[in-house]
Amino acid sequence: MKESGAHGSPYVLIWIYLVVLALASVAASLVLPKAPAELAIYFLALVKAVLVALYFMHLKVERFFIHSLSLIPLALVLVLFLGLIPDIVVGR
Amino acid sequence: MSAAAQASAEASESTGFPSAKLGMWWFLAPEIMVFGGLISAYLLFRMGSVGWAGELHHNSTLLGTVNTLVLLTSSAEYAAHIREGLVPAKSLFWAFYFGMTGLHGLHVLGGIVANACLYAVAARPGGVARYGHRAEMNGLYWHFVDVVWIFLFPLLYLG
Repeated sequence: MKESGAHGSPYVLIWIYLVVLALASVAASLVLPKAPAELAIYFLALVKAVLVALYFMHLKVERFFIHSLSLIPLALVLVLFLGLIPDIVVGR
Repeated sequence: MSAAAQASAEASESTGFPSAKLGMWWFLAPEIMVFGGLISAYLLFRMGSVGWAGELHHNSTLLGTVNTLVLLTSSAEYAAHIREGLVPAKSLFWAFYFGMTGLHGLHVLGGIVANACLYAVAARPGGVARYGHRAEMNGLYWHFVDVVWIFLFPLLYLG
Protein backbone atom coordinates (compact mmCIF):
# COMPACT_ATOMS: atom_id res chain seq x y z
CA MET A 1 0.00 0.00 0.00
CA LYS A 2 1.23 3.48 -0.75
CA GLU A 3 1.51 5.43 2.50
CA SER A 4 0.47 8.71 0.91
CA GLY A 5 -2.70 7.12 -0.44
CA ALA A 6 -3.74 5.69 2.92
CA HIS A 7 -3.11 8.83 4.93
CA GLY A 8 -4.59 11.12 2.28
CA SER A 9 -7.94 9.26 2.19
CA PRO A 10 -10.93 11.31 3.32
CA TYR A 11 -11.95 8.94 6.13
CA VAL A 12 -14.36 11.31 7.89
CA LEU A 13 -16.05 12.19 4.61
CA ILE A 14 -16.46 8.49 3.77
CA TRP A 15 -17.90 7.87 7.24
CA ILE A 16 -20.44 10.66 6.67
CA TYR A 17 -21.36 9.09 3.30
CA LEU A 18 -21.84 5.73 5.05
CA VAL A 19 -24.15 7.20 7.69
CA VAL A 20 -26.17 9.07 5.05
CA LEU A 21 -26.45 5.94 2.86
CA ALA A 22 -27.50 3.84 5.90
CA LEU A 23 -30.23 6.34 6.77
CA ALA A 24 -31.27 6.51 3.10
CA SER A 25 -31.67 2.72 3.00
CA VAL A 26 -33.83 2.79 6.16
CA ALA A 27 -35.93 5.59 4.62
CA ALA A 28 -36.26 3.65 1.34
CA SER A 29 -37.50 0.56 3.21
CA LEU A 30 -40.15 2.65 5.00
CA VAL A 31 -41.33 4.85 2.11
CA LEU A 32 -40.97 2.95 -1.16
CA PRO A 33 -43.10 0.00 -2.36
CA LYS A 34 -41.58 -3.45 -1.70
CA ALA A 35 -39.81 -4.18 -5.02
CA PRO A 36 -38.18 -0.76 -5.57
CA ALA A 37 -37.35 -0.61 -1.85
CA GLU A 38 -35.46 -3.94 -2.02
CA LEU A 39 -33.64 -2.82 -5.15
CA ALA A 40 -32.66 0.45 -3.46
CA ILE A 41 -31.52 -1.00 -0.14
CA TYR A 42 -29.36 -3.74 -1.71
CA PHE A 43 -27.85 -1.25 -4.17
CA LEU A 44 -27.09 1.14 -1.29
CA ALA A 45 -25.58 -1.76 0.71
CA LEU A 46 -23.34 -2.59 -2.23
CA VAL A 47 -22.22 1.05 -2.51
CA LYS A 48 -21.49 1.17 1.22
CA ALA A 49 -19.50 -2.10 1.09
CA VAL A 50 -17.45 -0.84 -1.87
CA LEU A 51 -16.71 2.43 -0.05
CA VAL A 52 -15.52 0.56 3.06
CA ALA A 53 -13.42 -1.86 1.00
CA LEU A 54 -11.84 0.87 -1.15
CA TYR A 55 -11.11 3.42 1.56
CA PHE A 56 -11.07 1.75 4.99
CA MET A 57 -9.56 -1.56 3.77
CA HIS A 58 -7.27 0.38 1.41
CA LEU A 59 -8.17 -1.63 -1.70
CA LYS A 60 -8.12 1.65 -3.61
CA VAL A 61 -4.34 1.74 -3.30
CA GLU A 62 -3.56 -2.00 -3.23
CA ARG A 63 -2.07 -4.00 -6.07
CA PHE A 64 -3.58 -6.79 -8.15
CA PHE A 65 -2.60 -9.68 -5.87
CA ILE A 66 -4.45 -8.26 -2.84
CA HIS A 67 -7.43 -7.44 -5.07
CA SER A 68 -7.45 -11.03 -6.29
CA LEU A 69 -7.44 -12.32 -2.68
CA SER A 70 -10.74 -10.51 -2.14
CA LEU A 71 -12.32 -11.00 -5.56
CA ILE A 72 -11.65 -14.74 -6.09
CA PRO A 73 -13.67 -15.79 -3.00
CA LEU A 74 -16.47 -13.44 -4.09
CA ALA A 75 -16.45 -15.06 -7.55
CA LEU A 76 -16.63 -18.52 -5.94
CA VAL A 77 -19.55 -17.40 -3.77
CA LEU A 78 -21.32 -16.11 -6.89
CA VAL A 79 -20.77 -19.48 -8.62
CA LEU A 80 -22.18 -21.26 -5.54
CA PHE A 81 -25.19 -18.92 -5.47
CA LEU A 82 -26.00 -19.20 -9.17
CA GLY A 83 -25.33 -22.96 -9.22
CA LEU A 84 -27.81 -23.63 -6.40
CA ILE A 85 -30.66 -21.51 -7.78
CA PRO A 86 -32.08 -24.42 -9.84
CA ASP A 87 -32.18 -26.70 -6.76
CA ILE A 88 -33.35 -24.36 -4.03
CA VAL A 89 -35.31 -21.58 -5.74
CA VAL A 90 -36.73 -23.17 -8.90
CA GLY A 91 -37.03 -26.74 -7.63
CA ARG A 92 -39.10 -25.97 -4.50
CA MET B 1 11.02 -2.50 16.71
CA SER B 2 12.01 -6.16 17.17
CA ALA B 3 13.37 -8.12 14.22
CA ALA B 4 10.16 -10.17 13.97
CA ALA B 5 7.91 -7.09 14.13
CA GLN B 6 10.06 -5.29 11.57
CA ALA B 7 9.96 -8.31 9.26
CA SER B 8 6.15 -8.45 9.35
CA ALA B 9 5.84 -4.66 8.86
CA GLU B 10 8.15 -4.40 5.85
CA ALA B 11 7.53 -5.78 2.38
CA SER B 12 8.99 -9.24 1.85
CA GLU B 13 11.47 -9.46 -1.01
CA SER B 14 9.80 -12.57 -2.40
CA THR B 15 6.18 -11.34 -2.41
CA GLY B 16 6.54 -7.54 -2.42
CA PHE B 17 3.96 -7.29 0.42
CA PRO B 18 4.40 -7.04 4.19
CA SER B 19 3.95 -10.58 5.51
CA ALA B 20 1.40 -9.45 8.10
CA LYS B 21 -0.78 -7.85 5.44
CA LEU B 22 -0.51 -10.87 3.17
CA GLY B 23 -1.40 -13.13 6.11
CA MET B 24 -4.41 -11.01 7.04
CA TRP B 25 -5.79 -11.02 3.50
CA TRP B 26 -5.10 -14.76 3.27
CA PHE B 27 -7.21 -15.10 6.45
CA LEU B 28 -9.96 -12.80 5.13
CA ALA B 29 -10.32 -14.69 1.81
CA PRO B 30 -11.93 -17.79 3.42
CA GLU B 31 -13.86 -15.49 5.77
CA ILE B 32 -15.41 -13.91 2.67
CA MET B 33 -16.46 -17.40 1.60
CA VAL B 34 -17.84 -18.28 5.05
CA PHE B 35 -20.11 -15.23 5.22
CA GLY B 36 -20.65 -15.21 1.45
CA GLY B 37 -21.87 -18.82 1.60
CA LEU B 38 -24.14 -18.06 4.56
CA ILE B 39 -25.62 -14.96 2.92
CA SER B 40 -26.03 -16.88 -0.37
CA ALA B 41 -27.89 -19.68 1.43
CA TYR B 42 -30.15 -17.11 3.13
CA LEU B 43 -30.91 -15.41 -0.20
CA LEU B 44 -31.56 -18.72 -1.97
CA PHE B 45 -34.01 -19.99 0.67
CA ARG B 46 -35.64 -16.58 0.81
CA MET B 47 -36.12 -16.56 -2.97
CA GLY B 48 -37.52 -20.10 -2.82
CA SER B 49 -39.83 -19.70 0.18
CA VAL B 50 -43.25 -18.20 0.66
CA GLY B 51 -44.07 -16.38 3.86
CA TRP B 52 -40.50 -15.28 4.46
CA ALA B 53 -41.48 -11.59 4.58
CA GLY B 54 -43.87 -12.30 7.45
CA GLU B 55 -41.04 -13.67 9.59
CA LEU B 56 -38.86 -10.71 8.66
CA HIS B 57 -41.38 -8.23 10.01
CA HIS B 58 -40.85 -9.53 13.56
CA ASN B 59 -37.53 -7.66 13.45
CA SER B 60 -37.68 -4.01 14.44
CA THR B 61 -36.16 -1.70 11.84
CA LEU B 62 -35.59 0.90 14.57
CA LEU B 63 -33.78 -1.56 16.87
CA GLY B 64 -31.76 -2.89 13.91
CA THR B 65 -30.78 0.66 12.99
CA VAL B 66 -29.71 1.34 16.56
CA ASN B 67 -27.77 -1.95 16.52
CA THR B 68 -26.02 -0.76 13.40
CA LEU B 69 -24.89 2.33 15.26
CA VAL B 70 -24.25 0.54 18.57
CA LEU B 71 -23.66 -3.17 17.97
CA LEU B 72 -23.55 -3.99 21.67
CA THR B 73 -27.29 -3.52 22.11
CA SER B 74 -27.94 -6.70 20.12
CA SER B 75 -28.08 -8.90 23.22
CA ALA B 76 -31.21 -7.00 24.32
CA GLU B 77 -32.79 -7.79 20.96
CA TYR B 78 -31.92 -11.50 21.29
CA ALA B 79 -33.62 -11.59 24.69
CA ALA B 80 -36.76 -9.92 23.27
CA HIS B 81 -36.98 -12.44 20.41
CA ILE B 82 -36.47 -15.44 22.68
CA ARG B 83 -39.18 -14.17 25.08
CA GLU B 84 -41.56 -14.09 22.10
CA GLY B 85 -40.68 -17.71 21.23
CA LEU B 86 -38.73 -16.65 18.14
CA VAL B 87 -35.94 -19.20 18.52
CA PRO B 88 -33.75 -20.91 15.86
CA ALA B 89 -35.97 -24.01 15.80
CA LYS B 90 -39.11 -21.99 14.99
CA SER B 91 -38.37 -21.61 11.28
CA LEU B 92 -35.64 -21.41 8.67
CA PHE B 93 -35.65 -17.60 8.91
CA TRP B 94 -34.92 -17.63 12.64
CA ALA B 95 -32.24 -20.31 12.19
CA PHE B 96 -30.56 -18.01 9.67
CA TYR B 97 -31.17 -14.94 11.84
CA PHE B 98 -29.50 -16.37 14.95
CA GLY B 99 -26.82 -18.19 12.92
CA MET B 100 -25.77 -15.14 10.92
CA THR B 101 -26.00 -12.55 13.71
CA GLY B 102 -24.38 -14.98 16.19
CA LEU B 103 -21.43 -15.72 13.90
CA HIS B 104 -21.09 -12.02 13.18
CA GLY B 105 -21.26 -11.25 16.90
CA LEU B 106 -18.42 -13.71 17.58
CA HIS B 107 -16.35 -11.92 14.94
CA VAL B 108 -17.13 -8.56 16.57
CA LEU B 109 -16.07 -10.01 19.94
CA GLY B 110 -12.82 -11.28 18.36
CA GLY B 111 -12.19 -7.82 16.90
CA ILE B 112 -12.80 -6.13 20.27
CA VAL B 113 -10.34 -8.52 21.96
CA ALA B 114 -7.72 -7.97 19.22
CA ASN B 115 -8.13 -4.18 19.40
CA ALA B 116 -7.95 -4.22 23.21
CA CYS B 117 -4.76 -6.31 23.08
CA LEU B 118 -3.26 -3.92 20.52
CA TYR B 119 -4.19 -0.92 22.65
CA ALA B 120 -2.64 -2.54 25.73
CA VAL B 121 0.72 -3.25 24.08
CA ALA B 122 0.80 0.01 22.10
CA ALA B 123 0.16 2.04 25.28
CA ARG B 124 3.49 0.84 26.74
CA PRO B 125 6.56 3.07 26.30
CA GLY B 126 7.79 2.55 22.74
CA GLY B 127 4.70 0.46 22.00
CA VAL B 128 3.49 2.50 19.04
CA ALA B 129 6.85 2.21 17.25
CA ARG B 130 6.97 -1.53 17.93
CA TYR B 131 3.35 -2.54 17.38
CA GLY B 132 1.84 0.38 15.46
CA HIS B 133 1.90 -1.48 12.14
CA ARG B 134 -0.56 -3.99 13.61
CA ALA B 135 -3.24 -1.30 13.65
CA GLU B 136 -3.64 -1.66 9.90
CA MET B 137 -4.09 -5.45 10.23
CA ASN B 138 -6.67 -5.03 12.99
CA GLY B 139 -8.33 -2.37 10.85
CA LEU B 140 -8.56 -4.71 7.86
CA TYR B 141 -10.27 -7.34 10.02
CA TRP B 142 -12.55 -4.82 11.74
CA HIS B 143 -13.72 -3.32 8.46
CA PHE B 144 -14.31 -6.76 6.97
CA VAL B 145 -16.68 -7.41 9.91
CA ASP B 146 -18.22 -4.01 9.13
CA VAL B 147 -18.80 -4.99 5.48
CA VAL B 148 -20.53 -8.19 6.60
CA TRP B 149 -22.95 -6.18 8.76
CA ILE B 150 -23.59 -3.80 5.84
CA PHE B 151 -25.20 -6.79 4.07
CA LEU B 152 -26.77 -8.48 7.12
CA PHE B 153 -28.64 -5.31 8.14
CA PRO B 154 -30.79 -4.99 4.98
CA LEU B 155 -31.19 -8.77 4.70
CA LEU B 156 -32.47 -9.21 8.25
CA TYR B 157 -34.13 -5.88 9.06
CA LEU B 158 -35.05 -3.94 5.93
CA GLY B 159 -35.72 -6.36 3.06
